[in-house]
Amino acid sequence: MTSACEATTRALPGAAVIELSGEVDGSAATVLTAAYEQALTASPEMSTVVLDFAAVDYINSTGIALIVSVLARARAERRKVVASGLSPHYREIFDITRLSDFIELFPDLDRAVSQL
Amino acid sequence: MTRVARPAPRRLDAFTLPSEPGNERLALARVAGTVKDLGLPAQRLERLKTAVAEATMNAIEHGNGNRPEIPVEVEVIQNGDEIIVAISDRGGELHADTGDHDEPNLVKKLDGDQSPRGWGLFLIRNMVDAMDVTTDGQRHTIRLTMRTGGAAHDKRM
Repeated sequence: MTSACEATTRALPGAAVIELSGEVDGSAATVLTAAYEQALTASPEMSTVVLDFAAVDYINSTGIALIVSVLARARAERRKVVASGLSPHYREIFDITRLSDFIELFPDLDRAVSQL
Repeated sequence: MTRVARPAPRRLDAFTLPSEPGNERLALARVAGTVKDLGLPAQRLERLKTAVAEATMNAIEHGNGNRPEIPVEVEVIQNGDEIIVAISDRGGELHADTGDHDEPNLVKKLDGDQSPRGWGLFLIRNMVDAMDVTTDGQRHTIRLTMRTGGAAHDKRM
């Protein structure tokens, strides 16, 4: 009933999209770090990282901690992080944790990419 | 004056799980199945599921030290318009040392002044209408209460 986190990275002009699927929990650390590195390799000058959660069915507190780590790294590198495809429940969690103060949220990937 | 008797609390389910990482998903799914017809609106059900998963994860990791032979006990009770989920482990003394008691501060976390982790109890508190913790010797129980009719948390939305 559990599904491991997977990530697909896509480079766009000045940005990278990381499409996540499965579960974002503690076991997603390696996948998320590797995806970020891959995005950097594919798009070294990226100013924005788009995290797409449309195919994610579960995020727990450890997953939130991973997203915080990605955001901290991106901010240290002066890159922006935006997110798309969160369900209403996880949007609420992004609000409660204040992640949405630092990560702009879009309903879907198309709208996130169109704002780049 | 007529006094209306409140129905006695009713135990809807009780089960145990081995303390293995990932088993919080089993608790979440079983509790969701148990309460699905009790009139909890969809978004409040999602909150309860998150709280159950986080509390079970804490019990597995911090209470029972990821030792599969020590069970996490889960009980689901209906008391009037309240759904109560009690999650117990055997780590009464251990929970005090988890370091998960500081209120998480995202700015501090982003600045490296606080660990990125430590969201578990914070999420639980914000997901349910009430949370209380009892420690009786080695047994540690967290009780999550969700009212089917809605509560203060909904005003935030």
